[in-house]
Amino acid sequence: MFVSKSMTSNVVTVNKDAGIFEAKDKMATYCIRHLPVIEEDNRLIGIITDRDIRSALPSDILHDYEACEEKEKEKVSNLKVKDIMTINPVTVSPSYTIQDVLLLVLKTKVGAFPVVDEKGKLKGIISVDDLLRAFVNVLGIGEPGTLLCILVEEKLGQMKKIVDAITEENVSFGSILVARYWDEGKRAVFPYLLTQNISPVKKKLQKMGYTLLDPMEWYMDQINKNPKEEGIKRS
Amino acid sequence: MKKTGFLYDEAYMLHDTGPYHPETAERLISIYNGIKEAGLLPKLTLLKGKQADMKWIETVHDLSYIRRFEELCLSGKKMLDYPDNQMCMYTYETALLAVGGILNAVNLVMKGDLDNVFCAVRPPGHHAEKNKAMGFCYFNNVAIAAKYIQQACGIKKVMIVDFDVHHGNGTQHIFEQDPTVFYYSIHQHPSFAYPGTGREFEYGTGEGYGFTKNSLALPGWGDEDYKKLIENDLLPAFERFEPEVVITSTGFDAHIDDDMSDIKISTEGFSWIMKKIFDMAEKYAKGRLISVLEGGYSLARLPELARNHVEILLNIKG
Ligand SMILES: [Zn+2]
Repeated sequence: MFVSKSMTSNVVTVNKDAGIFEAKDKMATYCIRHLPVIEEDNRLIGIITDRDIRSALPSDILHDYEACEEKEKEKVSNLKVKDIMTINPVTVSPSYTIQDVLLLVLKTKVGAFPVVDEKGKLKGIISVDDLLRAFVNVLGIGEPGTLLCILVEEKLGQMKKIVDAITEENVSFGSILVARYWDEGKRAVFPYLLTQNISPVKKKLQKMGYTLLDPMEWYMDQINKNPKEEGIKRS
Repeated sequence: MKKTGFLYDEAYMLHDTGPYHPETAERLISIYNGIKEAGLLPKLTLLKGKQADMKWIETVHDLSYIRRFEELCLSGKKMLDYPDNQMCMYTYETALLAVGGILNAVNLVMKGDLDNVFCAVRPPGHHAEKNKAMGFCYFNNVAIAAKYIQQACGIKKVMIVDFDVHHGNGTQHIFEQDPTVFYYSIHQHPSFAYPGTGREFEYGTGEGYGFTKNSLALPGWGDEDYKKLIENDLLPAFERFEPEVVITSTGFDAHIDDDMSDIKISTEGFSWIMKKIFDMAEKYAKGRLISVLEGGYSLARLPELARNHVEILLNIKG
């Protein structure tokens, strides 16, 4: 779960003295929205985003460069990366975890973080896309399977019973998510099972007395939306 | 009345999935009995299974996969790729007989000896990927049939309509770059059903963009919702694509009494769906319609579903 495992290591960067059209072209070429700005010794000094560029350019230039007045063009072509970059951006270290970065995204609203070592040297970049990829993996939905939702009492030993019951059916798990449920003292357990043959498992759980939630009632209707109280975790 | 073929072979029961599996030989017995007890057998041309020529299987599956399947099966392994795919010694042979039987049936339709055909085969096929078995499926029967129609019968445009309640991931992936095979699937939303593919935003890739269409049904949906989806999504696809032959991945597991899904299609709902497809095949494809069995696990309902299905193909259903 460390950032060093999920980040992009081959980072496209830009020099602080580069013109902003050079930065703009780089982003277009590599289909990226963030360019770390580094010194010759690979030390990070800032970051420039496609948004920084868009707000620095008058809208008519963005729209139709050729049709613009020479004076306007000259003014913006003199603009350098260092003039519009964010200095001292929020960074993370390679030993941060995916969870750290996820919480940091919510807190800072930043879409990508340069990853730097203790000497301030750029090691990589980690973006919201990388986090999403990691969570597709955690959910297990890259593999064929079926999701169930079981309502359980919040007391010790419930998960073991469920896992044992499913394992007895020779079904393997892609993931299990546990989420808070509207009712106090209840949990919604979401096993993602790597099988098409789901009805024996359903019948068994119902026979054991568990409530299987109607799929149309899953997620947002039942689970608290307040992110502070959202207890989604992988068990 | 149409000249309708009915492919059925007791050899299709040899594929034994073990004691706790829903994809059983009894499914075929239910289907056969439903058709027989309705007095339909004399109206049908009865077809048998046939060993498939390996070259047609290779139009879809990697040789390495075919060999792996054969070796594991013959060496007595009980499983291929996933625990869903339970095998016995005869699984490989049964799968070959299914494909060969279908290709023979296709041939008769293309020659004009038959108008259409219902292929009641096991194992099913639409989850099988080119190099992987999945979801009770080993060889992708409909995909191989489509390739055969194109390469052996000189047909360009084939439409596959998959109304099994699960998405036919294998079929979609095999043809997603191919603009000559349109893949339409109506299934339970992939966030709530196996295998988790067939999202609304999957339209095909590269040259095949626009030749894949997925219609999604939410848990609890029934006949009226399916009618709307088919009218809004499938009929325009027929109109635009104008297929020369139509293949259906015929799955009955969206039935209200089938516990493999949360979709609630009635017996009459299935007749409505098949009649629409039949009409489209009449309109665009000279009536050439190849129906190939996929899922459907309610032994109580399969007899009536199969009877209605065949009556529609025969064009004798009131
Ligand atoms: Zn199915």
